[in-house]
Parts: sequence; structure tokens; C-alpha cells
Amino acid sequence: MSVIDDHETPDHGMTARQMAFFRFRRNPLAVIGALIVLSVVIMAVFAPWIAPSPESAGSFVNFRNRHAPPSWDNLMGTDNVGRDVFSRVIYGYRVSLGLVVGVLGVAVPFGVILGLVAGYFGGWTETIVMRFTDIMLALPPLAMALAITAVLSPNLVNAMIAITLLWWTWHTRLIYRIVKGQMNEDYVEAARVAGASHMHILFRELLPNCISAVAVKVSLDAGFVILFGASLSFLGLGIQPPTPDLGTMVATGSEYLPEMWWQAIMPGLAILYAILGFNLLGDGLRDMLDVEL
Amino acid sequence: MSRLLDIQSLSIGFSAYGQYRQVLHNVDLHVSEGERVSLIGQSGSGKTVTMRTIIGTLPMPPGKVEQGSILYDGRSLLDLNVQERNRLKGTGISIILQDPMLSFNPVLTIQRQMDDIIRYADIRLERRRTKGERHAHMIETLRKVQLRDGERVLESYPIMLSGGMRQRVLIGMALLNQPSLLIADEPGTALDVTTQDEILRLLNTLVDDEGLSLLLITHNLGVVRQMADRVYVMERGHIVETGTRETIFEAPQHAYTRKLMAAVPPLYGDKVQTVVHHGADPMIDVRAATKDFQTRGGLLNRATASFRAVNDVSLTVNQGDIFGIAGESGSGKTTLAKMIMGLTTLSHGDITISGRNVAGFAGSQEFRKLVQIVYQNPGSSLNPRRTVADQLAVPLKFTGSDSTAIKTRISELLDLVDLPQNYASMYPHELSGGQKQRVAIARALSVNPKILVLDEPTSALDVLVQSTVIDLLHRLRREFDLTYIFISHDLSLMRNFCNRVAIMLRGEVVETGPVAEIFDAPNHPYTRALLSAIPVISPEEDALKPKITQEERASVLATSTLLEDE
Repeated sequence: MSVIDDHETPDHGMTARQMAFFRFRRNPLAVIGALIVLSVVIMAVFAPWIAPSPESAGSFVNFRNRHAPPSWDNLMGTDNVGRDVFSRVIYGYRVSLGLVVGVLGVAVPFGVILGLVAGYFGGWTETIVMRFTDIMLALPPLAMALAITAVLSPNLVNAMIAITLLWWTWHTRLIYRIVKGQMNEDYVEAARVAGASHMHILFRELLPNCISAVAVKVSLDAGFVILFGASLSFLGLGIQPPTPDLGTMVATGSEYLPEMWWQAIMPGLAILYAILGFNLLGDGLRDMLDVEL
Repeated sequence: MSRLLDIQSLSIGFSAYGQYRQVLHNVDLHVSEGERVSLIGQSGSGKTVTMRTIIGTLPMPPGKVEQGSILYDGRSLLDLNVQERNRLKGTGISIILQDPMLSFNPVLTIQRQMDDIIRYADIRLERRRTKGERHAHMIETLRKVQLRDGERVLESYPIMLSGGMRQRVLIGMALLNQPSLLIADEPGTALDVTTQDEILRLLNTLVDDEGLSLLLITHNLGVVRQMADRVYVMERGHIVETGTRETIFEAPQHAYTRKLMAAVPPLYGDKVQTVVHHGADPMIDVRAATKDFQTRGGLLNRATASFRAVNDVSLTVNQGDIFGIAGESGSGKTTLAKMIMGLTTLSHGDITISGRNVAGFAGSQEFRKLVQIVYQNPGSSLNPRRTVADQLAVPLKFTGSDSTAIKTRISELLDLVDLPQNYASMYPHELSGGQKQRVAIARALSVNPKILVLDEPTSALDVLVQSTVIDLLHRLRREFDLTYIFISHDLSLMRNFCNRVAIMLRGEVVETGPVAEIFDAPNHPYTRALLSAIPVISPEEDALKPKITQEERASVLATSTLLEDE
């Protein structure tokens, strides 16, 4: 049997995955981002084993050691009731990542499906979905979230609901635009000629072509969700004490500025660290997967 | 004659993904003053790398000049500093790129884009010209490329000009600063054959009148024969053969050159293969098919204008036919094919396949088992994110095969199109163009259709690959008793592949019949114009082409020049 033919076959002796990984590895910032994210995830998952003082996560008090500056015993100092700030930051990551998973776990599939449907079916479906998306995007997000949590009573679940309600729109828009572009490709028509169902075309043909963009968007989003949650908590409308939340910690800590700076600055830096990690990772993934957002 | 451009044993390599690969191997090439030289080769042979090295746009790194030199007018281009090199841009060496649309900035007028070229060249050469002088120069240059209504052209945006006019403006832009060497990268290949013919004539005239030297980079041997005094043949980064046009075309020495020549389908002469088939049973019957497209706009999305893409077309395709539908872009051939596939509804008329009207029939499982399609560009018709096996399975899955049957069938299909079994788990980007098209053909065949619509199945492929795909299609037709509808603009290919053809012009079929009749005695002036414009590779074929008068040409073709007299 003859194996054909021309010499235009891309041949680097690597699979696509290896080539993508090569691009990723060559980007030091992306690798740093990945390591930061990994460290945050490890801290969140193994918090009870990593935190030097796990009891600090709750309503533990130790007034004898309150307002202690950073030292070897308390790496980030202690807060106004003597809890170890470092331990609370580690538990704070747990809450933040829980928020990220909860919000994106719902908002992303919802937004992606709406975007797929709007882009694929077009016509009235498209008009209704996309105009509704536009309306949602027109609402100022923080004000909306404040309104929702204020009505529903502020706690972690309601903060999650509020952020989710606002977050899906970005994914709808992103996917809608990609699908619109993909609809011009012949493979969609080819699938139709082959008799494929709408479900097949949406989820087997179009969705795989959107996945890399979603992956990049999700990793960039993660940082923003953390920030958004922290902002809500800072304003007192998110997660309530004694649950250790980075935003709440900044809010309480800021009362003791500037003398006892560590109580606000350390959790602030922790937020910065996580967001930086997710953003660097997202940028790296974008280069690696070669998608435009 | 002195050598204007002299490339001496140039070797270039690229590093990508941690590996290093040499792409040019000791390339020797020269262009003398006033000479027309052509560099031919398939995609990936290193033509474009050579060109980009000459004009200095090869990114380095990842590119690297290992050895060799490029002398322009006695000066070593690779040793010049940036300012000195820039000074040669447009004034010493100028370039015409392949795609006349992509080479323009769509949001700027032609005037602005041409003016920029003059102005920056003036700045580099420390010349001063007033706006009026520059304007006069632009008009004069446009006149050289046979665009007399220069004022109108200058005020236009690229979108407002036809493809041929854009190509002319592009050539004009290359000439603005009186270069001595013109490099043309596949000029006119993105255009229709009749327009391409005009452009090639224009280039030839310009080279003579302006005393230019021309380096033509192309894969089209017919174009080379019309345009070049001397030819270089490139294969995988090596110059494998060089010689005058006559020696290359009449007595090619290297096996690769011969292979290239043999793969070009002949238009006339002894080498033409005539496919004869006398099918008696009508398979597809198109009756007065018409398609209007509405342009919608305004607040209420009302139809504002309508455009007739296909006008009152009637034809019959018999069982076993290879029925060619030929025409230039915009002639309605693809719309007609989509109507036959049931993908586009008819505005008027009827299409019946096997006695059943497509209108109610299309979309049924039965219809899909009867008619399938192979698209032009396998890069687009195959889903980049799904494996070969996944894609081959789709038609089977939706005609009710179970998973074991699908598996067996996929393996059969791969055998059928001569692809190794392990290709089943590969993704499209791991395959070459020809291999991808084989997968697309296998997918179309998976449910054993009786009719295949082939929408320019080889136009995205190199000529050598094209001939292997055409052989495959011939074999499959014999094996499975298929009927083909073959849509193409490549008449040479159709001459050898089809048994009957229909020639389309602006939505209408102007002529239809057996290939031999249409090609040997074309009735309609448009058919003659098309045939006479095709660049062929031997003088015998040229002699056999139909003759056409200027008046006849003008009656059927909208010419891209704006000359009142010529």
C-alpha cells in the first residue's frame, strides 16, 4: 500500500500536545503562574495539615497574644483576638477557591451552553439570548451583587449566587463569537450533510473547538472571582466572620492601620499572590493554546 | 548582461520547538538585467523562504543564514545595515504579493495607501515632492497598469474594486518608485483564469516597457511558460534543475521536473484522456432551477435588494456520469451544487434525484445514503478537534450503524482511500493536504452513496497531489459505480476527468455537452474566452486553443481595465 505523499506534513517529531507544552515551558512567567496556582491549591486542600495553628480558622481567641507582629511563631503576625494571620490566610484560600469552584462550576457551563445555542441556531434564539446577555452586562456588577446579597442576607452561598448570576454573560459572549466564526467552516455543514443531530453538532463538533478558549478564560476568571468575592466581603456583604475570608480580614485589619499593618496587608498580599498566579497561568495558557479572547 | 540579483550557495535553517531544520540547501540563483526568471516548486519547497530572504522579511531568529550571499547590483544584501536595506525597498526591489485583497488595508483609500509608499520612499531617499507632484505620479503609474480612470480608483476603497483592478493597483504600487527588480509571488493565482491572463499580459508588457527584471515565484507551470526566460525548479530546498524556458519545457532532465510536467493535466493534444460514458438512466434532473438571494437591511430587516445567483438552469446528469460544472467565481456553480444537495432551497424550478423531488427528500436518511459531498478545503471540512475515526463515524452513526459495524467500516474506508490503519487515531493537523482530502472522501463514501458532489476537491492541493487524488476518484467510481458532479474552475483538469460539462456564466449555463465537443468546438464566446485564457505548458496546446476576437471577449467578460480604447 502506498502511503502518500507531499512533504507539507507538519513534522517536528512531536504531537500537538507536546508542541503546546513546549511553548508553555518556554514561557517562564507561565511556569511561575502555574507554580503559584499549584501552591494556592495545595494550601487550600491541605489547610489543616499546613496551617501552623488550625484552631485560628474558627472563633478561637487568645487575647494574650493579640496584635503580635510577624515573627517566627506567627509568620504574618496575629489579629485583634490573637489568631494567627498566616493560618487564617491558608484557610482563606480554601474559602476563596470554594467560591471560585462554586461560581465557575455553574456560570461557565451555563454561559457556554447559551453561547453555543445562540451562535448555532441564530435567528430569534440568537436575538433573545444575546440581547438578554447585553442587558445583564449593562448592569454594574458590584452594585448588582450588593443588591442581591443585601436582599438575600449576606453569607457565602448568597455571595456565590450573586456572582454566578453576573458571571455567565462573559462566557456566553465569548462562545457565541467563536461559534459564529466556526459556523463558516465546512465541517459544520459536512456534519449536517452526514445527518448529525443538533446535539451532536453542538457538543461533539463545536464544543471541542471552544474548549481551549474556555480554559484560558476560566483561569483568568478565577483571579477575578477571588477579587470580587473579597470585595463583597470587604464591604461586609459577603462571607461573615468567623469564617476566615481574605476580604473580611482586610476589612477588619484596616481598622488597625497603619501601626498594626500586617493584619490588613498580609491578607491583601495573599489576594494579590493568588490573582497574580491565575493571571500568569491564564496568559501562559493563551499563548500555549493560541486563542484570542 | 550583468547580474542584477545573484544568490550564491544560500543555505537557511529554522529552529522550531527545540529542533533545527535546514530548509534551503546551497541555492544558486541569479537574475540578469531585463531578464524574466521563474522559481517553481510545490508548497513547502522553500520558494517563499527564498523570496523573504531576498527582501529581508524572514524573521531571524528562528531563521538563520548558514552560509551564502545575496548580491544585488554588486552589493551584499545580507551585510547591509537596516537603513541601507530599507533604501532599496520599492526603489531597488519591489514585490507583488499573491492575494490582492489581503495586501491592502481595507479602511484606507487607494490614494492614501499609494501616497504613503511614495512619501516614505522620498523620506528614505531624502527627496521632496509636493502633494500635487505625488498625485500626478500616482495617476501616471495607474495609467501604466492600464487603469485610465485614475482619479476614481484613487478615491476608492479596496472593497470597491474588482479583483483584477485590485491586482493592477497592487502592481502599480510596486512600480511607484521605479524599482529595477520586481518579485512577483504567485501573481493572479487568486484570480479567475480570464483575469489572470490579463494580469500576466500586463506584467509582460511592463517588464518590456519599463526595463524591469522579474523574479516570478509560482507553482503554476502554465504561467511560467508564458512569463519566464529562464526557470529554476526547486524541490525541498534544493534547486534541482535550471535552464532556459525551452529546455525546461521541452527536455526536462530531472525526474522531479518531469513528474511536475506529467502531473499537469493537458488541455489539448495527444496526451488528453477522454472519458467516455454513455449513461442512459437519468439520475439527477434539474428543471429551470433559479435561486434569488435577498439582501436584508434596515430597521425591520426587510429585503432591500435581490440577487439572482442561479438563473433558469436545466440539466440532466445520467447514472455514471462525471458531470463537470465549470465557471469562474460568482458564476453560481457552488449555489447550484448546494441546491442539488438540498442545502439551499430553490426560488423557482425543481430538482429531482432518482425520480424524487429534492425539496421533500433532502434531510431524510435515504437521501443521505444517496448523495454526499466532498468540499474544496479539507482544512475546513474536517473538524480540527476530532480524530479521523471520530469524523468517519458521524455519517455511520446517524444512519443507524452500531459501534462494531462502525469500527469495521472505518477500517474498510481507510483501506479504500489508501491510508494506513493507524491514521484512524490522528487529528487532521497531523495529516498533509492530500491525506486530509482522502479522509474527506472516505467520509463521503462511508454510507455507500450513489452520487458524490465534488466541490473543487483538488484546488487546495499541489499538482502532484492532485493527480493522486484524481486517480483515487477514478478508481472509486469504477469500483462503486458512482455518479460524480464535479465543480471546478480548472478546465484542463475537467477535460481529462469529466465526460460531460456545463459552462456557467453569471448564473446561467451557456453551454453543455460531452467534453470533447465542448473543448474542440466551443460555441459560446465565453467558453472560447475561458479556454483561450488557460495557461498551458506546450506550444501544441496553445495552437489548438480556440481563437477569440477582442469584440467577442469584450461581449462576455467585464474587463478589469478602465480603458476606453486599447
